Amino acid sequence: MRIEHEHWSPEMVAEFKRRQRGRNFALLGVLAAFCVLIYAIAVVKLHEYGQMW
Amino acid sequence: MSDTLLLNSSELGATASDWLALMKPRVMSLVVFTGAIGLAVAPVHMNPILAVTAVLCIAIGAGAAGAINMWYDRDIDAVMKRTATRPVAAGRIEPGSALGFGVVLAISSVLLMAVVANAVAAAELAASIAFYVFIYTMWLKRRTPQNIVIGGAAGAFPPLIGWAAATGNIAVLPVLFFAIVFFWTPPHFWSLSLYASEDYKRAGVPMLPVVEGARHTRVCIFVYTAILLPVALLPYWLGFSGRFYGASALALGAAFVYYAWAVLRDQQDAAGISLSNDAPARAAFKYSLIYLFALFGACAIDRLV
Repeated sequence: MRIEHEHWSPEMVAEFKRRQRGRNFALLGVLAAFCVLIYAIAVVKLHEYGQMW
Repeated sequence: MSDTLLLNSSELGATASDWLALMKPRVMSLVVFTGAIGLAVAPVHMNPILAVTAVLCIAIGAGAAGAINMWYDRDIDAVMKRTATRPVAAGRIEPGSALGFGVVLAISSVLLMAVVANAVAAAELAASIAFYVFIYTMWLKRRTPQNIVIGGAAGAFPPLIGWAAATGNIAVLPVLFFAIVFFWTPPHFWSLSLYASEDYKRAGVPMLPVVEGARHTRVCIFVYTAILLPVALLPYWLGFSGRFYGASALALGAAFVYYAWAVLRDQQDAAGISLSNDAPARAAFKYSLIYLFALFGACAIDRLV
């Protein structure tokens, strides 16, 4: 999204940055959770294959 | 938040909760619950991590379908009071971003389901997303008052998916679950559409009260609720569940019929407007949610305890 600082009051810029920070942290949380999930799935699957062989 | 910020809310971009709202979390909670019950009552033990991931896939798949629905329906959502604040309709998320978000999540959820469970569950998940997006949203919703009768099948998939994730096949019990949700959907949505009919009319969506009138809708709500009562008892009659479920299904179903009867008996004027501000329809809508949670909960208790 383009930031149109020239039209925005300081209050609006602060709000924009607050929302952007919120989105970034949410995405960080989702990516971290996804990494943990994939790691856990890999461990379970490896264990399953280990039992098969 | 100041008035200036409220006025420029869409210009300032979406919040993280807007992206969550794009996935229709209320609908997702229902789908997660019925999907988890389908998985839990299956006769095959699944590793807890894989089971939780499979339910997560069902949730993400449903959320993806919801996001694509909000992208496609942004024009009608914007003119309906109930949906005007949705992130795409309100302009906080760009339509293309919502579509991309939905498509990526849909593909990811199906692929992940294939990895953690099996091809049958992944195919059912893909079918449920496709059914909701193409059959319900794009084809039926704006064309026929039977939109939610046929389209309701999309919401009935999760117990089938949950069962298939654990067992790798389709059996009679999850098909009965499918039938229960299928017959539950019309009285649930028509109760809502009775008191939101002006919204649907303004948006040009041919919901039953808009096309056939409130009186006809009241009759249909009662008929479908009456059909749902014996359908919900089938798992007991066919020996898939015990007396606890049978008694619960009977009591919950009888109460639902009572609520539907109140909707049927609600007084209305010549224009079809309820004289009670649709109090019975609002009560029936709320009860329908309790009904589904309690019925599936009773089945899980009966099978697992």
